[in-house]
Amino acid sequence: MSKLSEEVLLIVNHVRQKKTDGTLYLMGERLAWMVQSKNTFSISHMYADIKAQKISPDSKDKVQLQIVMHDGSANTFHFNCSGGRSAQIRDRDSVKELLQQLLPKFKKKISSALEEKNRLLQENPELFQLYKDLVVSGVISPDEFWLSHTHRFTSGNKSTEGQVVGVSPAFLADIKPQTDGCNGLKYNLTADIIESIFKTYPMVRKKHAEYVPHEMTESEFWTRFFQSHYFHRDRTILGTKDIFTDCAKNDEKEMKDEIEKRISDPLLDLTRCADNSVDEGYRGINEDSRRSSNTTNQSIIRRFNHHSTMVLRACEAKSKPAADSSKSEESNGVTVLSNGQHSLPNGVVASTSKNDIKEPPQKKARIKEKLELEDLCTLKNEKVVNLRLGRIERYLHGPTPATISKYTTSEKVIEANQLVAEEIHKWVPDLSQVLLCGNAIGVLGELSPGGALMQGTTNQQLHQMVPQAVQDEVRQQYNALCELLRHFWSCFPVASKFLEEKVVKMRSTLEKFQLAKLNPLKDKLGQNHYHINLTGHMEDMLIAAYNKFDAWKAKKMTKR
Amino acid sequence: MKLNIDGLLVYFPYEYIYPEQYLYMLELKRSIDAKGHCALEMPSGTGKTISLLSLIMAYMRAYPLHITKLIYCSRTVPELEKVVEELRYLVNYYEKETGEYPNILGLALSSRKNLCINPQVTQDHEGRTIDGRCHELTVSFVRQRHKTDPSIPICRFYEDFDALGREIPLPAGVYGLDDLKDYGTKKGWCPYFLARYALSHANIVVYSYYYLLDPKIAEMVSKELSKTSVVVFDEAHNIDNVCIESMSVKMTRKTLDKCSQNIDRLDKHIQRIKEHDAEQLKEEYHRLVEGLRDANVARETDVVLANPVVPDEILQEAVPGNIRTAEHFLGFMKRFVEYLKTRLRVHHMVSESPPSFLKDCFQKVCIERKPLRFCAERLRSLLRTLQLTDIQDMSALTLVSNFATLVSTYAKGFVLIIEPFDDRTPTISNPILYLSCMDASIAIKPVFDRFQTVVITSGTLSPLDMYPKILDFRPVTMASFTMTLARTCLCPMIVSKGNDQVAMTSKFETREDVAVIRNYGNLLVDMSAVVPDGIACFFTSYIYMETIVASWYEQGIIDQIQKHKLLFIETQDAAETSLALLNYQKACENGRGAVLLSVARGKVSEGIDFDHHFGRAVIMFGVPYVYTQSRILKARLEYLRDNYQIRENDFLTFDAMRHAAQCVGRVLRGKTDYGIMVFADKRFARADKRNKIPRWIQEHLTDNLCNLSIDEAVQVGKRFLRLMAQPFSRDDQLGHSLLTLEQLQSEEMQKKLASKMQYV
Repeated sequence: MSKLSEEVLLIVNHVRQKKTDGTLYLMGERLAWMVQSKNTFSISHMYADIKAQKISPDSKDKVQLQIVMHDGSANTFHFNCSGGRSAQIRDRDSVKELLQQLLPKFKKKISSALEEKNRLLQENPELFQLYKDLVVSGVISPDEFWLSHTHRFTSGNKSTEGQVVGVSPAFLADIKPQTDGCNGLKYNLTADIIESIFKTYPMVRKKHAEYVPHEMTESEFWTRFFQSHYFHRDRTILGTKDIFTDCAKNDEKEMKDEIEKRISDPLLDLTRCADNSVDEGYRGINEDSRRSSNTTNQSIIRRFNHHSTMVLRACEAKSKPAADSSKSEESNGVTVLSNGQHSLPNGVVASTSKNDIKEPPQKKARIKEKLELEDLCTLKNEKVVNLRLGRIERYLHGPTPATISKYTTSEKVIEANQLVAEEIHKWVPDLSQVLLCGNAIGVLGELSPGGALMQGTTNQQLHQMVPQAVQDEVRQQYNALCELLRHFWSCFPVASKFLEEKVVKMRSTLEKFQLAKLNPLKDKLGQNHYHINLTGHMEDMLIAAYNKFDAWKAKKMTKR
Repeated sequence: MKLNIDGLLVYFPYEYIYPEQYLYMLELKRSIDAKGHCALEMPSGTGKTISLLSLIMAYMRAYPLHITKLIYCSRTVPELEKVVEELRYLVNYYEKETGEYPNILGLALSSRKNLCINPQVTQDHEGRTIDGRCHELTVSFVRQRHKTDPSIPICRFYEDFDALGREIPLPAGVYGLDDLKDYGTKKGWCPYFLARYALSHANIVVYSYYYLLDPKIAEMVSKELSKTSVVVFDEAHNIDNVCIESMSVKMTRKTLDKCSQNIDRLDKHIQRIKEHDAEQLKEEYHRLVEGLRDANVARETDVVLANPVVPDEILQEAVPGNIRTAEHFLGFMKRFVEYLKTRLRVHHMVSESPPSFLKDCFQKVCIERKPLRFCAERLRSLLRTLQLTDIQDMSALTLVSNFATLVSTYAKGFVLIIEPFDDRTPTISNPILYLSCMDASIAIKPVFDRFQTVVITSGTLSPLDMYPKILDFRPVTMASFTMTLARTCLCPMIVSKGNDQVAMTSKFETREDVAVIRNYGNLLVDMSAVVPDGIACFFTSYIYMETIVASWYEQGIIDQIQKHKLLFIETQDAAETSLALLNYQKACENGRGAVLLSVARGKVSEGIDFDHHFGRAVIMFGVPYVYTQSRILKARLEYLRDNYQIRENDFLTFDAMRHAAQCVGRVLRGKTDYGIMVFADKRFARADKRNKIPRWIQEHLTDNLCNLSIDEAVQVGKRFLRLMAQPFSRDDQLGHSLLTLEQLQSEEMQKKLASKMQYV
């Protein structure tokens, strides 16, 4: 049981479980407990199986930690170190904190997997039916079922990867403080909120990495955070004591930089809007020159703007790398022209690759877009990207080979043309393997509806004969059987012990299926007196499978 | 399509036309025929600009002697560029239809900041420094000196333009700011001076209001424009404020201190010149004695700011004797500045008329009215004689001399206000002296007198009859057009109370009330849950918005808003706001949705469109009254009452409603667009306010939408949005709100259109 290669993160001695002393191990992927005297773990839980941890309240004299599993069972550990209560609590807290960090990682995996499966089943009714038929009725185990559907699973997973989950602008408001009764406030942070904070304020993430756990504990860090201006927008920045002071400064600087960058959209830049360069003394008589003097209010406003900007940027951040790479390609566009060996061998540069200094065309386009009264125009002309050709002839003729090709004269062309024409004229089809006309027509007649060969086909009628419900049921059973048979046949050739086991199991499963599903269906159909055997094919398939199994078994027996 | 507008062939560059565009052109044609002025209101997003351009262009081609030029004034640089693009579209259409490029020169003009291509000058982004640098390189005596001493830097673009540019006229075409720059770069000519030069022979000129309304600039730039021009003021709902700003001056103690420094510097300079070269000054003096108002012939590059008073008021006589010599003039200015400084030392608010100021000035320092009137010109002449390059340093002195000229020229229509401190900080002394124009008609009068047709137009110009009053002109036509709609794509409503029945209002007495603020918050929260994409909100003032945001934060309303949308807020810093806007649009673009809190009368409300998904709803929190405690406003109200019989309340309501309409109108930019317009104040439902909402909005503001609670408003909004989400194709519009040529020409449509007009 004990794998030595496993990384041990924490060992706590003097931990009691069911009144037995022992040692608690926290490892890379699981939590384990060993009785003092033994060498093997008597308890071992994968983190993924753990639903939650609970700790005993401070008022209780025993210092305990409870692990609750997904299946509802629980294990309680009692910290019983000799160093007194404070040491016990310290032990407990160290376990608790480590678990706190570890559990979310595994939890996410499990819950997302579950969710994914759930989604798949909901989206795909056929699969759901199959699941019901096979798993719920106990024919195969869920693991087996999902194993065979992993391809869907992963493909579905991939598509979700593309979209980044954004940040809710009100994430800070979601943290509802609760009074703990005696002059204190309690904030509940979830992993999601922490992630949101980190995403929105990269500076906080940096600070977190710097300070936790070297200089302060996780909870101390967040306490500070809740005291900072991030949480209380109306708080002015206090002395240098606060670790978030330089965050605030940094944020302000960031905003300033952003402002100084000047906005490229001419319609939005208010600083360039006004058109008068006369002295201030001549203007602004009518303006409301009252300026507010309340700096806290001003900083609130500024912080709201900053917050919204950061939230907006948090969801942009992921998509940016792609844009960046395309940008770098654009800037390469110039060099592409000169060396001519890039993805654009024809020396074609789209007009978007113009660099930023030349803004007028963009500006003009923007203004035009604003002006257009689309309902007055006749046709919405398609937006086209202008081609700017480095070398026009290369675009028109494609890359020309380096050697000078021989040009054919017009006489030669005419001559070739004539030759072809003659050939066609002389061409006689060679039809040795073909039916005579009369025979062909006869066969066609037989094969048309009403012909001799079309007597037995009752396809059309079958559709109408069998009611929809029965059709569905047959189809369902057919699907389920196919799925089982797929499992069965996939075991051949039986190369391993596991497959051997599986094939035997599958054989019994098939039998079970025949007894539990197919036969009742057959009886039911029999009651309806259909003269066609609707289940015939299914039976054939089963018989084929049984034959295969018997053959395999016989072969195996002789081998022994 | 080719239209027949009252006998005039008009090329209209689209295949379809809105009925109101046709009517608009019809009205415009009539006023041009009558050689009179007009005021026209047409909803935004119904193609006002293109209708204007099409008709006037057709008129110009048909009667080239009747109209020679179109002067199109707009407010902001992006708007100028939009007009240029529309013009380009029209000209291209002409080319396509007639087979030849029309011989039309269209041109945009802006400040040097937007046109300069000299890399040494454009390093700075500040408009004033660019002007100053340009002046240093191009002023005539610097160029003169350069001829003897090539090490003195000059601007090669201007030199090349001066050498060659005047001979070769700008080829026909449409030139936006960037086109001018490109052309200038290609030829190596200065685009700014090229454009200013081409102004005189261009057919269509597009520039900002100030080039026509501010006498300091208009004298320089627009002096030679022909009288047979049509002048268009687009987005003119705020034109009176522009007029007032053009004539007003504001000074602080810092200005005066700087001014003293300027005088000292000039003094030293004069002493130095006297030692070396007294001739220069003598010559100037003699010229002034001879009666020349200007000692030198000013070239285009020499003048930075022209006389601040309108041309009619400039005295056509010689400079008075006591300020003819340079020293005397400086002494005179010194005395005047000292006098102003003593005036700024007051401890209480002063408000007086220019005559009483002049009287006091005469009693205290013996300065008469006459020489004061010449201050601006005399200073200009002196600066040119002294050959100072860094004119921008002298801005304080220029400001004071302009003030002197203004205060001594106008006895009426101006008020002088000295505020010793800010109202909210009475302990900090920060005296400001305002010379504020109260009569918008002073600045615009020369324009009305000079040009045969002046068109005042905007999307929101209600109530129309107010404009002729405050601008003092007689229009031949005034008309307000509504938007013909195949589906009601706007949903105006007045929310007057919260779900708790507490009245919703930004009235001064209750605006700080917690219940009111909470109800405003709830309205926004509920709306943000229902409305897709963008919501724009406007508050009455910045300070009010700030307090509301702070208390929303405390009440947890912000958190609730953030659950649905991202939140962006306008700040008093333009660059910061631009960034917030950019992110707001990004959030609307990527589907997260966003709320923008902003201020009526602010930069956002005047310059940014929230078309389509950038604004599916707009909420006006409160009636955006102007800050009524301002002394300048009080003086203006009094003046309007005494001289134009406009009651204070009428004007205040008018002003508030035009800004509310402007904010609310931002959301709808066309017939395919749709949006909810929420007026969140019970006072909007009163007749005096409701009547002042533009007709095209008022039409849809039925009685049942005038007294809603938050819940009801949300229900109405939901239903509206569900309706709007249905597919909407051209066929739905055709024949009703969109016409083909045949439909337009049909008799019944003509009758229907005729009945639609509402004359004011």
